[in-house]
Amino acid sequence: MARVVILGGGIAGHTAALHLTRMLTRSDEVVVVTPNSKWNWIPSNIWVGVGKMKTDQVTFKLGPIYKRKGIEFHQALATGIHPEGGPGRPRPYVEVTYTDPARAGAHGELDYDYLVNATGPKLNFGATPGLGPAGHSYSVCTAAHAGDASAALHESIKRMQHGERQVIVVGMGHGTCTCEGAAFEYAFNVEHEMRQAGVRDLADIVYLTNEYELGDFGVGGLTFTQQGFQTTSKLWTESLFRERGIRAITGAHVTGVEEGVVHYEQLDGSSNSLFFDFAMLLPPFRGVDLHAYDADGTDITDELFAPNGFMKVDADYSAKPFEEWLAKDWPSTYQVPRYPNIFAVGIAFAPPHQISRPRKSSSGTVIAPSPPRTGMPSGIMGRLAATNIAEMIRHGDSAKIRTASMADMGAACVASAGSGLRQGSAASMTMYPVVPDLVKYPNTGRSLKDTFGEIGLSGHWIKLLLHYMFIYKAKARPGWHLIPE
Amino acid sequence: MDDTEANIARAPLPTDKTLRARKNLLIQFERFVVINTKMLKIIRKEHR
Repeated sequence: MARVVILGGGIAGHTAALHLTRMLTRSDEVVVVTPNSKWNWIPSNIWVGVGKMKTDQVTFKLGPIYKRKGIEFHQALATGIHPEGGPGRPRPYVEVTYTDPARAGAHGELDYDYLVNATGPKLNFGATPGLGPAGHSYSVCTAAHAGDASAALHESIKRMQHGERQVIVVGMGHGTCTCEGAAFEYAFNVEHEMRQAGVRDLADIVYLTNEYELGDFGVGGLTFTQQGFQTTSKLWTESLFRERGIRAITGAHVTGVEEGVVHYEQLDGSSNSLFFDFAMLLPPFRGVDLHAYDADGTDITDELFAPNGFMKVDADYSAKPFEEWLAKDWPSTYQVPRYPNIFAVGIAFAPPHQISRPRKSSSGTVIAPSPPRTGMPSGIMGRLAATNIAEMIRHGDSAKIRTASMADMGAACVASAGSGLRQGSAASMTMYPVVPDLVKYPNTGRSLKDTFGEIGLSGHWIKLLLHYMFIYKAKARPGWHLIPE
Repeated sequence: MDDTEANIARAPLPTDKTLRARKNLLIQFERFVVINTKMLKIIRKEHR
């Protein structure tokens, strides 16, 4: 009998948990520890953020699903890992603090044989003074944040309906943010909503981003073929900004947000301010506050975690210049080298370096998008961890460990540019691989056959299809496992 | 100096024909099938 504990019930953790229930025997135990009682299909939060969906359309309660699937569920926050157990306690365990109302604040300790760290990000609003719902800007990172953003956005729309001009700022709240695609989607959905409301001429929409150029999306941009030519996501994105009349400020690190004004520094070292009536600025991410201890209780957090709080796995973390970065630096099994029974997947693992070229402003401020590792890659990593754990439980030392490096993994992304079955649109993109491999693909780092982009109504239909399909899958309805990650 | 605004101003604009094609139900149904096929190809690489 083996006991697998999964920290986190997001895309990676929930995927791992569901797959483990069908890969392990009934005598094995699958345990999920997550501070939230609900699962959230985060890609649809942008539709909540403009009022096209309600929060309960993008979330559902995890408890009933886990009860049906025989998964032990602890609504709690993991605080410590003891991979070697502790004094007089040989079995590894994790420390948790309960968040469910019945046991709020209570301490717990859960033994494990295998551990999956899928804790996702800590939304680090504190990195930028005044950023976030507790400050002066909105966010769409959670369904609740998106609901609040929608209410404030509609206040702005009301003012425009009374003839008042409004400045809307959408983008990244720090120079090291990731998920530029989500901010891009939100900017275009806001623009779409304002056209639908007949007030577009009164809105000045500004996209404020840490990307060096438009179309970077934290993956160094894309090159694809279109009508016999190679074109770039930069040109393609700039065309969309021109068509929809959205202004853009690139290479920006937000230094602070005050009531109605955002301050930012740009790569040329200039400091600027932008007044706004409504701002949705995403926070930077860091790892959750997990600590690790060895058998005698010595703190080994620095060995297991990078300074940004993400967990170090089987990657090459040696510091080297951008020109020397290689695809093979990226992890492939997501196991912690010292403890192969611990996996870190999704946003929780520490990337060895950025995908986009990192840059510094003339005053030394780092303005570099962090690598995205959400959505499809997260689900794939979750399933990989489940597959390898099941293999290790069955075959022990002779287990065949599978790999799924982001440098050998593709991704399909759909960035909404407005919703509506007849009037919606979205940019559909595929890329292969996610991390460019200039050894295998010397020209662009990616396969031109498998990397493409297209804008149209069909993209909206695909995003809507994915919404319903992945919620069906996450609810573990009949045949759920046939839906790929 | 941020030249993004100048780049946007110089970016190619889609023609009316392209904009109509992006909303045309028949064309978009065909694109829906084509794009899903391309995405399935990427997904299949991960499930080998």
